[in-house]
Amino acid sequence: MPLARSRIAGYNSNVTPISQTIRVKVLFFGRLKDVVGHSEDSLEIAETSTIEQVFAPYVARHPELAKYRSSLVASRNQEFAAWDTPLGSGDEVAFLPPVSGG
Amino acid sequence: MATSLHDDIYQLVREPIDVAALAGHVRAPEDGAAVTFDGFVRNQSHNRPTLYLDYEAYESMALGKMREIGAQLHERFVIHRVAMVHRLGRLEIGETSVFIAVSAPHRGAAFDACRFAIDTLKRTVPIWKKEYFEDGAVWADGELPPAPAATPRAKPAS
Repeated sequence: MPLARSRIAGYNSNVTPISQTIRVKVLFFGRLKDVVGHSEDSLEIAETSTIEQVFAPYVARHPELAKYRSSLVASRNQEFAAWDTPLGSGDEVAFLPPVSGG
Repeated sequence: MATSLHDDIYQLVREPIDVAALAGHVRAPEDGAAVTFDGFVRNQSHNRPTLYLDYEAYESMALGKMREIGAQLHERFVIHRVAMVHRLGRLEIGETSVFIAVSAPHRGAAFDACRFAIDTLKRTVPIWKKEYFEDGAVWADGELPPAPAATPRAKPAS
């Protein structure tokens, strides 16, 4: 992309262009919130990242999250979404344990 | 007959639910029946005495899903008005956690729609319940909402 390259070149021509990143909002609910320690986070990721790739760094930090992976659903912008859904800048991703309202 | 969604009520609240007001809201002169569902806090869970419950929600999504259920009710059943309210925060034994009221010209549709509404809510609306006991607290076992499977990859052309 000419625009990105020229911007980087203008800043420091010695820097090799790196892939673009996006920032997404990440939400945890129920028992996940207890494990992660907070309910909301902001994460910078490569622009082609999927929901699965957003989850990975949290598993690295909190290994016990791995055991919940098969019993979670994910959402993107308040809609249930497949784990291989690619994300865009400003998206809101949430990890949802089995629901127990009612 | 008016079936405007604007007559419906979908809410998440932190105060006690006024069930009489909601039951009254759905009644209209053109209706002949209203069915209500009142879900309230039980004093035990698997024979363990419950002290109280604490509900949390992914509020923006939960409200969206509740409105989606309402839209489905109007598509599937010959009903008039819907009121669907879920309470969040700490609830004591006997307090209403969820209340659904559906009115219709005839009782069959009202019964069917109300049953569909609570069953779907319990399966798809992102709300979670933590149960507090004498000796600790646990997140209630829940149901996994149906979510889209992995995106199908394009099959190679044959």
